Amino acid sequence: MLRYFCRLLCAAALSLSGGIAETPAVIAIRNARIVTVSGPVIAKGTVVVRNGLIEAVGENAAPPADAWIIDGAGLTVYPGLIDAMNTLGLSDSGPMTAATGGGRRGGGPPPTTSSGPPAPPARGPEDRPLNTSYLLAADQISPSDRRIEAARNAGFTSAVTFPNRNIFSGQGAVINLAGERAGNMVVHSPTGMLLTMRSAGFSGGFPASLMGVIAYIRQIYLDAAQYKTAKEIYAAHPVGNRRPDYDKHLEGVLAAPRILLPAGNPKEIERMLRFGQELQQDTILYGLAEGYRAAGTLKRHNAKALIDLRWPEKSRDTDPEQIDSLRSLEMRDKAPSTAAELKKAGVPFAFYAGALTQPSDTSKAVKKAIDAGLPAADALRALTLSPAEIFGVADRLGSIDKGKIANLIVTDGELFQDRTKIRYVLVDGVKYEPAPEPSASPSESTR
Amino acid sequence: MKFLPFFLAVALFAGADDTFVLRGVTVHPVTGPDVENASLLVVDGKIAEIGDARLKTPKTTKTIDAKGLHVYPGMIDSNTEVGMSEISSVRETSDVSELGDFKPQLRAGIAVNPASEHIPVIRANGIVAAMAVPDGGILAGQASLMRLDGWTWEEMAIRLDAAMHLRFPTVSTASFGPSGFSRASFSEARRNYEARLKNLSEYFERARRYQKAKAAAGAGFKPDLALEAMLPVLAKKVPVMISATRERAIKDAVAWGEKEGVRIVLAQVRRPGSALALLKEKNIPVILGPTQELPLEEDDPYDEAFTVPVEVHKAGVKFAFGSFGNQFSRNLPYQAATAVAFGLPHEEALKSVTLYPAQIWGVDDRMGSIEKGKSADIILTDGDPLEVKTNVKRMFIQGREVDLESKHTKLYKKYLARP
Repeated sequence: MLRYFCRLLCAAALSLSGGIAETPAVIAIRNARIVTVSGPVIAKGTVVVRNGLIEAVGENAAPPADAWIIDGAGLTVYPGLIDAMNTLGLSDSGPMTAATGGGRRGGGPPPTTSSGPPAPPARGPEDRPLNTSYLLAADQISPSDRRIEAARNAGFTSAVTFPNRNIFSGQGAVINLAGERAGNMVVHSPTGMLLTMRSAGFSGGFPASLMGVIAYIRQIYLDAAQYKTAKEIYAAHPVGNRRPDYDKHLEGVLAAPRILLPAGNPKEIERMLRFGQELQQDTILYGLAEGYRAAGTLKRHNAKALIDLRWPEKSRDTDPEQIDSLRSLEMRDKAPSTAAELKKAGVPFAFYAGALTQPSDTSKAVKKAIDAGLPAADALRALTLSPAEIFGVADRLGSIDKGKIANLIVTDGELFQDRTKIRYVLVDGVKYEPAPEPSASPSESTR
Repeated sequence: MKFLPFFLAVALFAGADDTFVLRGVTVHPVTGPDVENASLLVVDGKIAEIGDARLKTPKTTKTIDAKGLHVYPGMIDSNTEVGMSEISSVRETSDVSELGDFKPQLRAGIAVNPASEHIPVIRANGIVAAMAVPDGGILAGQASLMRLDGWTWEEMAIRLDAAMHLRFPTVSTASFGPSGFSRASFSEARRNYEARLKNLSEYFERARRYQKAKAAAGAGFKPDLALEAMLPVLAKKVPVMISATRERAIKDAVAWGEKEGVRIVLAQVRRPGSALALLKEKNIPVILGPTQELPLEEDDPYDEAFTVPVEVHKAGVKFAFGSFGNQFSRNLPYQAATAVAFGLPHEEALKSVTLYPAQIWGVDDRMGSIEKGKSADIILTDGDPLEVKTNVKRMFIQGREVDLESKHTKLYKKYLARP
């Protein structure tokens, strides 16, 4: 009796904090269609979730006696979607763009990490400008970021989140998109480092140009290799050797298991692939607006790619007298076919929705890729198992398999179709019901 | 030593060096048919007679045997910064613009440096006069038609108030600020444009009130140089020169001109589209920019810029050429020539650098063609002046022979003699 009362209280407390539905520790969804992604689709089966993990899945899996039962008749269970590149939870980050053009396009002053008088402009790589490689996204997560709930309502249960303010911005993390505290949310850290080609801009010091940025990145990796060797030698022979200076900017560079480089058109793609090889880093390209023209190149280099779901389109409110070039019209038309081309060529790829202003636009964006020739199953994979594989967390996320984290979405139809609604979202086994969307889409609300 | 023959010449023909007769020439009057083996009599700097070989002249008249040469009216460049800017990147040599939005009282002509190195270079290709156009703000000031010879700006000035240069507001989404190139939304650009247009209308309203106040000559009337300079504009004596490249800007400018009741000349017209018919209907002349340009848009045909003049001509709109700069003014004839290669009738091209600019700037009673009574602003060439290989052999401005030496010819001679 007392225990029951306790549970009621806990549930009440939970439901107070952020509208979380009363969630029992054990949930069984039965009689549902189950799209496991890792294996064949189960036409009618059961998924059992216990303590945040998938306990059982299959046609014949029996709901345990203590389970909260969800009747899945007419419903489909998918693995929760993973956004392969985002800034979710990081309030001090800008939108995800893949502009590789140099010069001042990056713009914006570098963030000040400490108070006090502003530092003088950097003179060269030795001043380590635009380098916060030591920052961990995992340390910066703010669970109260309103974008998290919006992403979850759109079916995302995980995201790979990256600081993106600098050239060396810091270490990304795989996070689950629900949790009381940041500590609940982090699945894996560090996951890799996002490199941007931004420059310090006018009178901002070094590097002020794209060529400066590239030379700077090169120098940092040379310095990091030397730093690593020096540290190893010193660790082995501390006596009689002068200790190498500690450099936090290089520590972060060494800690990153992989790097993400921006690339839009075929030339950029080829150059960035070569650049990654030269730096001897496990490289993932992101952006790929004109990736449809470079599938062969990507395959030859055994590249991995993150495709921006914000397809290039005519910006709103432009001069009606402005004439769009054939080149940009073609790019707008063909960009969504990049995924299909990479699939044909056998290049591993994932989608990222981080650059979309509204997570709810994801479905429409994915639909475009499907209409451009990508099989629906591969579209789903590019938002589930593929990003998990690319970031090395496929043993925990990305499919509906026994033992994996219970990140699931339950829909009333085929995912990425217009009329399909997401009924439930399970993150770490906790059930959320997306609030019905307001009829008028407030596209400006998340700005 | 070098000056000695010059002194002798002055002594022999004292006071009469602007009186002479050219013999054995082919005269291209531009306004009428060519006259071969002609004699051209110039008296006191003015064209006195065009006759055949038998033309009788007083014995004292100097005869210049120019057998086989062609006489054309000197060319006029309808938009330059000549003499106002020597090296545009050196601040001290640039006197093109003044601060502030409305400064109609400024007269570009007085800023023209008669000793500019650009002037002899431009003359070498047969250009005798150029519009010096001020820049900056909205009403930039008065553009002045200057002859390219003289010791002072007073000697050079043909018409100081040939036009009022209005930098008409445009709806521009692109801007360049301290943080680099940026693009505003169209609605924002449109608001900005409307605000500037409102300021412009208010300024014209002020000018009209000033006009009335002056006419009433009340006790409180206070003279104002800027508004005073607006009076000839309001009286349609001075046209307003407006830069408008594309269809929308052209239509906006024409509508504004109608509303304010002023005479306008459009400059830098490049993509007029359907506005051409409007220009014909309202009888508005245009100044075309350089023809030898890359296409405006990425996907335009390669000859987009080359064919603008013939389109304008076909629409029946009067046009002249401007070089819109300083050092490239020398290419004026070749800008017209490129248009000929792409369909513009040759005689139209010639008129667009001689007669038409004279008409547009209101000086066709004095120049622009070879006719009796007009100023002897002429060139002697060994062929068609629109042809690149043609040389301008001699030039006369107001009947005075002008030296065709320039920085280019000096450098040519210098390096020709290099061992």
